[in-house]
Amino acid sequence: MNIELHTLAEVQNVSGEEGNFTVTVKKAPRYVDMEKCIACGECAAKCPKKVDDEYQAGLSKRKAAYIPYGQSVPLKYALDGENCIMIQKGKCGACEQICPTQAIKFDDKEEILDVNVGSVILTPGFKAFDPVDLDYTYYKKTPDVVTSLEYERLLSASGPCAGHLVRPSDGKEPRKIAWLQCVGSRDINRCGNGFCSSVCCMYAIKQSVITAEHTTGDIDQTILYMDIRSHGKEFDKYYESAKKGGINFVQARPHTILPGPDGNGAIIQYADKSGNMVEEVYDLVVLSIGLQAPKDAQQLSQTVGFELNKYGFVEATSFEPVSTTKAGVFSSGAFNAPMDIPQAVTDASSAAANAAVMLAESRGSMTQDKVWPEERDIAGEEARIGVFVCSCGTNIAGTVDVKAVSEYASSLPGVTLVENNLFTCSTDTQDLIAAKIKENNLNRIVVAACTPRTHEPLFKETLKEAGLNEYLVEMANIRNQNSWVHQDNPEKATEKAKDQVRMAVAKAALLQPLSKMSVDVTQKAMVVGGGMSGMTSALGIADMGYDVVLLEKSDMLGGNAWALSKTWRGEEIKPEVEKLVAKVENHDKITILKKAMLKTAVGSVGNFVSEVDVDGETKAVKYGVAVVATGGKEYKPNEYAYGESDRVKTHLEFDKMLDSGATSSADSVVFIQCVGSRNEERPYCSRVCCTHTVESAIRLKEQKPEMSVFVLNRDIRTYGLREDLYTKARQLGVIFVKYTLDAKPQVSASGDSVSVKVADPMLGGRELDIKADYLVLATAIVPNETKELVELYKCATGDDGFLTEAHPKLRPVDLSVDGLFVAGLCHYPKPLDEAIGQAQAATSRAGVILARTELPLDSIKSEVTELCDGCALCVDTCPYNAISLESYEDKGKEHRRIVTDKALCKGCGVCMATCPKGGVEVNGFTMDQLKAQVTSALAGL
Amino acid sequence: MADFEPTIIGFLCNWCAYAGGDLAGVSRLKYPPNMRAVRVMCSGMVHPDLVVDALKEGADGVIVMG
Amino acid sequence: MSANKLGSVMVVGGGIAGIQTALDLADSGYYVHLIEKSAGIGGVMAQLDKTFPTNDCAM
Repeated sequence: MNIELHTLAEVQNVSGEEGNFTVTVKKAPRYVDMEKCIACGECAAKCPKKVDDEYQAGLSKRKAAYIPYGQSVPLKYALDGENCIMIQKGKCGACEQICPTQAIKFDDKEEILDVNVGSVILTPGFKAFDPVDLDYTYYKKTPDVVTSLEYERLLSASGPCAGHLVRPSDGKEPRKIAWLQCVGSRDINRCGNGFCSSVCCMYAIKQSVITAEHTTGDIDQTILYMDIRSHGKEFDKYYESAKKGGINFVQARPHTILPGPDGNGAIIQYADKSGNMVEEVYDLVVLSIGLQAPKDAQQLSQTVGFELNKYGFVEATSFEPVSTTKAGVFSSGAFNAPMDIPQAVTDASSAAANAAVMLAESRGSMTQDKVWPEERDIAGEEARIGVFVCSCGTNIAGTVDVKAVSEYASSLPGVTLVENNLFTCSTDTQDLIAAKIKENNLNRIVVAACTPRTHEPLFKETLKEAGLNEYLVEMANIRNQNSWVHQDNPEKATEKAKDQVRMAVAKAALLQPLSKMSVDVTQKAMVVGGGMSGMTSALGIADMGYDVVLLEKSDMLGGNAWALSKTWRGEEIKPEVEKLVAKVENHDKITILKKAMLKTAVGSVGNFVSEVDVDGETKAVKYGVAVVATGGKEYKPNEYAYGESDRVKTHLEFDKMLDSGATSSADSVVFIQCVGSRNEERPYCSRVCCTHTVESAIRLKEQKPEMSVFVLNRDIRTYGLREDLYTKARQLGVIFVKYTLDAKPQVSASGDSVSVKVADPMLGGRELDIKADYLVLATAIVPNETKELVELYKCATGDDGFLTEAHPKLRPVDLSVDGLFVAGLCHYPKPLDEAIGQAQAATSRAGVILARTELPLDSIKSEVTELCDGCALCVDTCPYNAISLESYEDKGKEHRRIVTDKALCKGCGVCMATCPKGGVEVNGFTMDQLKAQVTSALAGL
Repeated sequence: MADFEPTIIGFLCNWCAYAGGDLAGVSRLKYPPNMRAVRVMCSGMVHPDLVVDALKEGADGVIVMG
Repeated sequence: MSANKLGSVMVVGGGIAGIQTALDLADSGYYVHLIEKSAGIGGVMAQLDKTFPTNDCAM
């Protein structure tokens, strides 16, 4: 209720300054009254005008009266003013006539709003590259060359072919598909996009994997790539499993695509690794299109007044990755640089943190909390059930005989009142329901209408308004799961609706008021780890006004950052570390515990208690949330003559030499990539090493242009804008040579030189023998030990030892235990700017909990009954570790039973299904209630 | 058996199968009206007794979707 | 710098980044205006079929 959504809206002007902006917003007319629209879809059904459907990437048509897609938010129709015949030509009006709620407003006008806000955050996303101007792709000139976004819709169950993959030319299922990578990315010559779009390798692999799932029989899939960039968490595993699954990966950048025989499919011509020309016919070709800055980037930057970089993305620094050049204005997501979903979600929380910190003094000044009337006590009352049957215009009533259903409902036991409403969800019906509850002293409500997933919250509120406990409502889904799917069988649909109402009434009679649950929040945070990530989070949380305890295991803050030289943007790191350490050390809300180790942790979100060993002394800390930022370290290899010769260095060791200029005497330097990464032991990509190598190679070439610099690599993964560095390195003459795991470079060291032998595929596999002054090993990043911490909190790590987030896409900063957040290298290898971004994101996520004094909980929770005998079967099955055992005394005898932690329990009921004796139940979904539904469903037999 | 109309009890997880059922409606897909759905918060909450009871009380089939 | 800072934020763009930003801020005590240029929020992620590595539905 504290988010006001303005759709069809654009920013026109911004004035004012940090803390107090006035933003002028232009809202285009929707031509539909959002208050009245009930999303029945009649307008779209009647609308005669067909328009290309943007949601389906133009592959199919929508109407001029439309919703963007089935699950749109808001779920309200709109008229597309540019295409509506009535608005354009003054004739038609079909939608107005059919609309059952008179929601159509042809005279709707554009609105201009002035909105005062303390901060502005820009998240306009990206523009997908349009390959229509790239002649060689034949896109739009032959039907079976599609973009990856179009292909996404072709695969989708909600797409134009309902998930049954067919190619556009002849509607046949393609058996041979090729993906062309880097279309509109890594291409200065043809489109000026020198950057890597970061996400296309992974989405192409995903599409090929999903394609294999969607089709039967043999299917031939090939991805034509330059470097596979699977540098994200768990990405390399996915890549390897795709390879094992039979997807072909061919390193090539095709220069010609031609229409296939008879206009079906397409022919791709390319030079393979060894330079031979290959020509292949494919049934379908997918162009993996890149992510460009959004269309309105320039305009937005001028209106708001901040700078863009040369590619049109937001200009930012590594230390303030989501701050624009204008104070008080932040940006997140693909507007900052091409990025994948988890990175965008992290970025989003990071921008939120920056705004929250800036406006900390005004937190809560403009938000509201709703106050409800006191609840009526219904204990001891017989069930008096009110049933409200919705016609939903004709959506339900057109198929289901709602009169018959209503009459039938009156005959059911416990039912006191039945009403049939045209729209049970409308505002006036809510008033009516509330009035009926009071008039008839109803104590249970059944709403037979649409789905509880969208509408139960509304009816819960109506019950609360009427002084009833919100859990006394049950819905019968007679629209989405009945009238809409059984349109061709009204008789059976009506029969089913009666059954559904009977089931809902049976359950409703057994519903009990559930008490509101909440936990008090200790408005204090603990941060584990005093590196850049930990310090950034601690400072952010403290700047929001909360106390923070920062634990550092060594006697010095700063961690790995002290060993780093420059960011990929070329910024000096050490001065920034010094600044941050000083800020953290001087902050009156931050308590720093050095030489500190976490010993215990009990409690759950809002209320944790830990004992911390501080240099031999035990201290107790109470906190509501914790940020885990325990960091990682550079892997020390045991191969490639490391340790045998002082000419073989790791990156961090070599950086010191670069900084001191000691490298300028060298004539030849070789880098070997993926040392300790992407192998059997550590199957992940360490993400930062390619960029680090390319940076170092550039520095060497700039120190001494005639130096020979070789980079032996498997794929160069300079993702995003880092690609510019790779381009620059090649321009400076750095030589990149590919090697594979089964033909790793051979190294022998003697005296002042190192000999490196490697087979160069570009030279037909001929062996290069390089005499180098230095060999630099781009070694893996490994996480610091977190075993004890993981056991204490019962959170999890993956096989590689990195902490596992709650959801890989949508909750990339939350750990699986509520109230715990993660930042930096302990989550996955990442460069400093991303670690800082994630640390800021953790600040925001922590702030969500710390902002309140108590945390409301859903009341659908498991609860122990008197039948529990403490057998503990359920303890291990609980996926949330919410169940423990306790002992108690009854009549002098010792007994055991379980206790559930309400803050940890998610109400999934695995315990209930496990228990052989009814010792634990889920409120709102008890065995009795579910049984009543089953019995009543079968009562008609 | 040609005109056999089975009665099926479905236990549908609120977060996936039940949501899928809703989406089938939004997409106006068609399927036979033989199933009666019981919404659960997770398919893991479906106690074996519920399945056995359904079959004892005359259901021709039980489907747990999650 | 202005003396009185407002406890509200405008988020421009209703894709996954904008939605997450808006939710975080609203949940931490700030009033949010979420501006979306199309008729509904969701952005490109809503167009995606599935997401890896879980192959979850993107919706």
